[in-house]
Amino acid sequence: MTAHVLPPAPPVQRPRVLVVGSAFAAAASFMVFIGLFGIYFTARSDVIGSGSIWLPEGSTIPLQQPNTMFITLIMTVVTMQWAVSAISKNDRVNAYLAMGLTLMLGIATIVMTTYLWTLMELDIDSGLQGVLIYTITGAHTVMLVLAMVFVALMGLRALGGQFTARQHDGITAAAVYWYAMVAVYALIWISIYITK
Amino acid sequence: MALTDTRPETGTDTTSVAPSVVPSPLTIFGSGDHKAVGTFYVLAALVFGIAGWIATALASANTVGSSSFLSETAGTQVLQTSQIGLILLVIVPLFLGLATYIVPLQVGASTVAFPRAAAAAMWTWLLSSGVFVVASFIEGGFGGVRAKSVSLTLLALGGLIVALLLGTVCVLTTAITLRTPGMTLDRVPMFTFSMLVGGAIWMLTLPVLFANLLLIWVDHRYGGGTVFGASESQFGQVSWITHQPQIYAFLIPGLGIVADVVATLTGARLGKRNLLLTAIGAFGVLSVGAWAQAAIYPSFSEDLVWQAMGLLVLLPLLLLLGGIAAAFKDGKPSLKSPLGLAVVSIVLTLLGVFAGALLVITPLELRMTNFFANGQAILVLGAALAAGAAGIGYWGPKMTGGHLADGIGKLNVLVMLGGGILGGVSLCVVGFATRFSGLSGAQDTLVVISVAGSALFAIGCLLVILGLGSGARKGAPEAGNDAWGTGQTLEWACPSPPPTGNFGDLAVVRSPEPLLDEEA
Repeated sequence: MTAHVLPPAPPVQRPRVLVVGSAFAAAASFMVFIGLFGIYFTARSDVIGSGSIWLPEGSTIPLQQPNTMFITLIMTVVTMQWAVSAISKNDRVNAYLAMGLTLMLGIATIVMTTYLWTLMELDIDSGLQGVLIYTITGAHTVMLVLAMVFVALMGLRALGGQFTARQHDGITAAAVYWYAMVAVYALIWISIYITK
Repeated sequence: MALTDTRPETGTDTTSVAPSVVPSPLTIFGSGDHKAVGTFYVLAALVFGIAGWIATALASANTVGSSSFLSETAGTQVLQTSQIGLILLVIVPLFLGLATYIVPLQVGASTVAFPRAAAAAMWTWLLSSGVFVVASFIEGGFGGVRAKSVSLTLLALGGLIVALLLGTVCVLTTAITLRTPGMTLDRVPMFTFSMLVGGAIWMLTLPVLFANLLLIWVDHRYGGGTVFGASESQFGQVSWITHQPQIYAFLIPGLGIVADVVATLTGARLGKRNLLLTAIGAFGVLSVGAWAQAAIYPSFSEDLVWQAMGLLVLLPLLLLLGGIAAAFKDGKPSLKSPLGLAVVSIVLTLLGVFAGALLVITPLELRMTNFFANGQAILVLGAALAAGAAGIGYWGPKMTGGHLADGIGKLNVLVMLGGGILGGVSLCVVGFATRFSGLSGAQDTLVVISVAGSALFAIGCLLVILGLGSGARKGAPEAGNDAWGTGQTLEWACPSPPPTGNFGDLAVVRSPEPLLDEEA
């Protein structure tokens, strides 16, 4: 008796509404930082052009914490992609694990950011530099929290059985926003911490 | 359904929905229906429009003669509040409201993407707008004397921007993902395409305004207010949205409205459509002005890029207007008020963009005072308002289910044209006074004329509301599916007002004018 093998199911034809919407939201969030960096670079260029150094005397920004945060966020890119890859194979256990790890690493980044603020010896009212650096790093922390809420929400929906290998737009959308957040941190790392 | 819920894989069964019902105003509360949300946006924006144009008139009147009726601080704040308010409380939400209502219909969708997010955006915008107005009244506003009121103003503006961006995301996602089969991007109606372009530009530039506000707020609240939060420099950091090229970004959806109105009311297909779509795209690219911030780049007006943008933006506009003129030539124009308002919008747009081209020519010295730039801003915002009024007149029968009183619309054609000419051109003429000494004595007279122009725009907003009301009144002639009888795009294939789900089964779209194909 010959075994009949059915052809694979055709790809799902559906609009990727949440992915596109999240991409727009990520683009808008990214543009907030483009605006902030435009002002930051202009101000820094003016200060350095006038013969001064950028950071006020006595202020220091250690590199250990920013580097650790950068490595941590790079790891979250891997864990977030792991979640997307796992759910696209219907491997729910790995998807939960990956999203949980992403959230934990996100919390670690917030803790590290606040710790760095205590080490910087830079007051927010110390002038141009304080306002710009705290606004940019603070806004990034807000973006990180938003991305974590998005991932947590999608994780809860996954726990509720909403996502499948054929329909996992929610987790993909959360990943899109997460990657944008990490890209913003990469800009902060280079512009504020490395080339200070 | 959560804000982030995706569309189900199977489409909504729109064949078994309840028959068309005009929603009661009370149903707006808690509704995620894109039609209710869009209508509320439009009505609220028009009410703010009346207040905004009256404030503009007051601010101008305050500069007439030697004795002013407002203190110097109050006069400056009224002017600044009205300039920002006309953009973020009137023009952008007016277009966004129309888009929330019409774009899903034009692309054959059963709803807007993320309907509850669209509703949340509208309510957030409305709440923030109210807080912005109140905070401005209690000595807030940019550079206000009461610190807490200034903080409130900045937070309200931040909320406004977030809300408008969220609403824009909903509309853009609808146009990108929910198009009916066969409707490729080059087949979408002109208004939808112009919203795609305009919305994309808003997505790129309004976050930069948010960044400005964030810095002002952080410095004002926590940094001692010596740098970004300093009272005298606050408005200078955000005023770039009221000047060219950025101010053109708020006009872009109006270009699409004008094109749709002209095509339908002349009964002609728009020729060389892809060229016209490219022209709208080019106009959008040339209106990105977030980089031209006087606060961080004081010499931007000497920059060749800024000057080139001011001149080059005329080209796509002329290309677009050429296509619209061809429709007038090929078709049989129906002398209805939306067509008249579209023509007014075209005239004011041309005047505004031409004035912008003059503004960048340094030897003319038109940037020595703010008069010319303010006059140009009134022309551009007036053009946008006239386009919005044309859109409401055009889609009003779809929104209300009844034909709008055309007499009110025709009166509004004169009012809007008068508003633009008196309000904008007179200030542009004052701007010339710095070069021609003979005009300097006429400055007060010309400013008074400008006051009358702004007041006319306030009346124009009121007339639009009355016109919309005339369509909703009992006894208004029923609009049917295609209110004009010459509709070309999908919104004219569903009942007026559209039922829940909008459409039943739609045929595959094979051209940009599917309704004309159906007739053929």
